[in-house]
Amino acid sequence: MRRLTACVAVLMLALTLIPLGGCSDEGLDFGVRPENRARPVELVLLENGRPDPSVLAEEQVVRRGNGEEPSTLDPHRADGVPAAHILRDLFEGLTTISSSGQIVPGAALRWNISRDARTYTFYLRRDLSWSNGEPLNASDFVYSLRRALHPDTASASAAALLPIANAREVLAGELPIEDLGVALLDDEFTLQITLTGPTPYFLGLMASPVAYPVNRRNVEAFGELFSMPGNLVSNGAFTLNEWVPRTRIVLEKNPLYREARDTLIERVFYIPVEEASAEVNRFRVGELDWTSEVPSNQFAWLQKNYPDELVISPWTGSYFLGFNLTQEPFVDNPSLRMALILAIDREIITDKVTRFGERPSYSLVPPGIDGYVPFTPEYADWTQDERNHEARRLLEQAGYSDANPLHLEIRYNTSGNHKKIALAVASMWKQVLGVSTSLVNEEYRVFLQNRQQKIVTRVFRAGWISDYNDPYSFLELFRTGHRGNDYGYSNSTFDALLDEVGTERVRARRERLMFEAERVLMTDNVIIPIYSHVSKRLVNPHLRGWQPNVLDHHPTRFMYLLRSRGALSSASPSAVDAVSQAASVEAEAPPPPEGALPSPETAGPQADEVDDEDSSERIEQENGEGGS
Amino acid sequence: MALLDVTGLEVEFETPEGTVRAVSNLDFHLEEGETLAIVGESGAGKSQMMMAIMGLLAENGRARGSALYRGADLLGMTARELNAIRGNQIAMIFQDPMTSLNPYMTIEQQMTEVIMHHRKLKRDEARAQAVEMLRAVRIPDAEERIRQYPHEYSGGMRQRVMIAMGLLCEPELLIADEPSTALDVTVQAQITQLVRELREQAGMSIILITHDLAVVADIADRVMVMYAGEVVECGSAEDIFYNPQHPYTRGLLDSVPRLDRASDQDLHAIPGNPPNLLDLPVGCNFRDRCDEAREECREPPPVWRDETGRMSRCVLPMEGGKRVDPDGTGPESRATNSASRENRE
Amino acid sequence: MRQEGLLQLAASRLIGLVPTLLVLITISFFLIRLAPGGPFDAEMAAPPEIRANLEAKYHLDEPLLAQYFRYLGEVIAFDFGPSFQYKDWTVNELIARGFPISATIGGLAMLLAFFAGVLIGVFAALRQNTASDYTVMGIAMLGISIPNFVVAPLLILVLAIYGGWLPASGWDWTWQRGLLPVVTLALPAIAYIARLTRGSMIEVLHSNYIRTARAKGLPERTVILRHALKPTLLPVISYMGPATAALITGSVVVERIYSIPGLGSYFVQGALNRDYTLVMGVVVFYGMIIILFNFIVDLLYAWLNPRIRYDEGE
Ligand SMILES: Nc1ncnc2c1ncn2[C@@H]1O[C@H](COP(=O)(O)OP(=O)(O)OP(=O)(O)O)[C@@H](O)[C@H]1O
Ligand code: SF4
Ligand SMILES: [Mg+2]
Repeated sequence: MRRLTACVAVLMLALTLIPLGGCSDEGLDFGVRPENRARPVELVLLENGRPDPSVLAEEQVVRRGNGEEPSTLDPHRADGVPAAHILRDLFEGLTTISSSGQIVPGAALRWNISRDARTYTFYLRRDLSWSNGEPLNASDFVYSLRRALHPDTASASAAALLPIANAREVLAGELPIEDLGVALLDDEFTLQITLTGPTPYFLGLMASPVAYPVNRRNVEAFGELFSMPGNLVSNGAFTLNEWVPRTRIVLEKNPLYREARDTLIERVFYIPVEEASAEVNRFRVGELDWTSEVPSNQFAWLQKNYPDELVISPWTGSYFLGFNLTQEPFVDNPSLRMALILAIDREIITDKVTRFGERPSYSLVPPGIDGYVPFTPEYADWTQDERNHEARRLLEQAGYSDANPLHLEIRYNTSGNHKKIALAVASMWKQVLGVSTSLVNEEYRVFLQNRQQKIVTRVFRAGWISDYNDPYSFLELFRTGHRGNDYGYSNSTFDALLDEVGTERVRARRERLMFEAERVLMTDNVIIPIYSHVSKRLVNPHLRGWQPNVLDHHPTRFMYLLRSRGALSSASPSAVDAVSQAASVEAEAPPPPEGALPSPETAGPQADEVDDEDSSERIEQENGEGGS
Repeated sequence: MALLDVTGLEVEFETPEGTVRAVSNLDFHLEEGETLAIVGESGAGKSQMMMAIMGLLAENGRARGSALYRGADLLGMTARELNAIRGNQIAMIFQDPMTSLNPYMTIEQQMTEVIMHHRKLKRDEARAQAVEMLRAVRIPDAEERIRQYPHEYSGGMRQRVMIAMGLLCEPELLIADEPSTALDVTVQAQITQLVRELREQAGMSIILITHDLAVVADIADRVMVMYAGEVVECGSAEDIFYNPQHPYTRGLLDSVPRLDRASDQDLHAIPGNPPNLLDLPVGCNFRDRCDEAREECREPPPVWRDETGRMSRCVLPMEGGKRVDPDGTGPESRATNSASRENRE
Repeated sequence: MRQEGLLQLAASRLIGLVPTLLVLITISFFLIRLAPGGPFDAEMAAPPEIRANLEAKYHLDEPLLAQYFRYLGEVIAFDFGPSFQYKDWTVNELIARGFPISATIGGLAMLLAFFAGVLIGVFAALRQNTASDYTVMGIAMLGISIPNFVVAPLLILVLAIYGGWLPASGWDWTWQRGLLPVVTLALPAIAYIARLTRGSMIEVLHSNYIRTARAKGLPERTVILRHALKPTLLPVISYMGPATAALITGSVVVERIYSIPGLGSYFVQGALNRDYTLVMGVVVFYGMIIILFNFIVDLLYAWLNPRIRYDEGE
């Protein structure tokens, strides 16, 4: 009996000790230990803008946290941000983006846009090859665009390619695939794409995954499995080496890439981490160099404790609430809508409610997109008291009072953030206007369906994050009948302005037209602007070469890792090398960057072969109409 | 020296309602080869008295006093010492044959483990002996049936298995707690017959707890009558049957019209119920039900003894008996051993 | 006769499972399809042409009943079809990759929970109502009441981030990455099994056959291990069936927090994304696993408990 209980006691003790197995002699420390995080050496650049080899870490392996598991690595069928990050490393479109997010020549060396903005002619580089060594030319792009739009491919992202002539008919199976407005011109290196109408962001579109080339022989040989490691042939800076679902995707440098000499990173790990806080944890123990985001509830803490690692920058995204203009009480009731817009104190929402570095917004287009300065309504300069005062006046004008109280609902999809914002908005309406608001939260897909049907919704969670560095991609959502128009908004002046934007070639004119369109939209009170998104992530300070940009696109090929201070050999500040997935990677010296080709940024400006004289004439002619 | 000599035994149970005094000031002894029958109504404390001696009280039970087995106090032994005696020199058969065998082990496992443990026999030898013993208690196809589980046996067979198991180590003392009560009449008779045969063959000492006065008359050398935790009368079987002294004993005997069929119902023929053990009355415990009750019975009744060892606890004088201390024994002989069973384990 | 009883029992139970599975498949098939929202809904609605192509590709354009019978046919062939969401993988592949991980973590957690829980429970039962009993069971109560999503981040913070002894999360079949998830998953089960064992053991110790065993002069250890343990474990075993099934099919919370590519998160992801094939595949697979484990437990129970074995065999 006594022995038995002794046995039990010993075993229990052993059990409690198991989690401590393999502990080092370090004690537990609940403080933050920034001094333990290695610091990189000072960056030294050569004349060509590339880093001096002496400051580089020996092992150029970057581990990027990547959010959710990518849907697929078939560029034509992929959707979602995580897949796009990986595909931008694997492939290159006719155009591509620079480290600062600008459109620069990719597979095409230069291009020509017709005066009516409906025909794009791309002149491809002549020395391109696939990662398997086969040459790559314009017919690969013809094949690929046709494949992306083929009914059998059933690509959801093909919707982006609808501006191409006959794309809709081809998708619907009404026209043969050969009728798609994509053709070889003169030789194997000239590609002409015809559009149904002007599409301002078309060059940006050509840099996105759905417009990437896929290798025909590869696709035909492996079918849907062509995007698996070992099968996938690509044309980007990296090739696919390994894919363990929801564990890691490993890319290796592609030596045949046209700028392989400037690509310093040898290997990229994309680690899907669904839980944002898990990503932060893995960053903190040194398993990741880069996180896809940071959880909002840790933002303040990280700001304080990881100031060097936390990177925040404007992003092409706006968060707003929408009005369903097709249902009472919002039909033809702009003063009611304005009252509701005014009564919200955006500063309080960003500073006290969401608190993760977003910026209060008074308009649709977020700041920082391609130099565009968004429209600012008059009330943006008022104090909140003034706004509240005006809001009450407008509400009364709309016919609501204590005797005839207004009851509203805000519908949103289940998420802590949406809920917090809806709660804040509802309480502001209550406080300022005495409007009672019920909150309706729905599961995401249910919410999407309701929002698109425009029947049960009144005020609803909306917002847009664009893939294009172009204000137009925000404005077009409000065109009459646009499939993103869940507001039921229709204004012919607005539509006409957007038509003009489509064909306008002179930047200043185009911006003015878009500004005017945004002004029309905002004075029609279709949305309640709340804030503009920022991208925020933790980045290993050793990792350089990338730049914050509004698109939040960060191709790995621009990146490199600096050496740690006082350490010549150690590559990264990994705390758990023994179990790190990257630990087995053999170190390899980076290629010497002397005589490097001009970087994409410098190549960009000389590429656009637009004859601007003609375009500017048109601007003068149409100026009068635009202002009306 | 008596084989078993119990003095001043008290058994108490701590319950949420209070202390249940199941056995108080109990003295008795058992000579080698003797068969002692203990009778009394349900709840009289017969079983708990034996449990206390065997160290088998429930956790909430405490035993005081002493129980000398060949001079060694069972109540003061360590678990190891006690285990060397239990199942080996003293075997006990329980009241409820249906639940006293482990339903998850075969009869073979349960039987062989006793001799393998105490006699250090090998499995085969143990098995052979177990089969032989099962045959002795007249289990048919013992060779086969030993591999079965208890639920494959009838109640009577299970009790026979219990008896066989108890006899495996050829104990000096067999305590049989109502070995036949839960069984039907014919089986009861068989079991009783079995015990009688065994006694004759092996010459064991037996303590037989029973309601069945017919059995008592048949096989007991001496009879001890218990009421509300106390011995009220004790004497040779003949004396008790033909010359009962205590009003309770007389009541018991009167309520048995036919000696071949005793049951609880018959015993309850004495009107009224035993006293509440949580709150025993001062004076005679039987007072409320006694035909002879009188004023003096409010005091603890005196104890009468004679030289044959006969004893009675009543204000009524016992034939040929001498009046002793009202508590039966001197206070100094009680409370000599208050070590609780629990502390020893 | 005893062997036959077991076999017969096994066979009859197995046949009984077929209708259960069929009901499961039918109900979940129609439930997920009737749920509002579809697999191709996005922030911006897909144009009708694209929606039509997608529906044609996944046969969603067929009448619902035709889809149902098509699906039944596929399930019989053990083909759960392609995942809508993880387009490069079939549901079979995803299950084949996710399940071994979930099963390993869940199985180890259950093993740990079983041994630790039984030890603690027996320990407490033998010291019933003493200070050590109350301490141990108090800790066990904490184990039940503190949810995984609190325990896991705590373990990560102490052992991975500040201690630096273990990786923070992720999966690669090393014990370092498995340890915390296993422990996190096991904790509530340890607590539950400890309580179950304690209660059961106390009850068994009060039974008459234990008194018999003691009366035989067997040492206490033999009494506990040989006589009391088996009946004590019966309720634990019947708990273990559904519990093991639940653990090895993957805990969504633990898998998310530790970034483990197990089966649990596939189910949730699939349901949220209306990935019909993935949800159905996981549900049917779960169903089979749960039924299988209840079946195993029935057999184990019958094997442990001779009375059941006998009754069924008659
Ligand atoms: N664990 C216990 N806790 C409290 N009281 C108990 C406990 N065990 C026995 N008792 C009480 O002790 C008294 C004596 O019980 P015991 O079993 O000795 O009676 P008995 O004479 O054997 O009766 P029967 O003829 O019914 O077997 C009874 O009143 C019973 O309720
Ligand atoms: S002492 Fe009195 S009450 Fe008790 S048995 Fe004797 S006569 Fe009856
Ligand atoms: Mg009894």
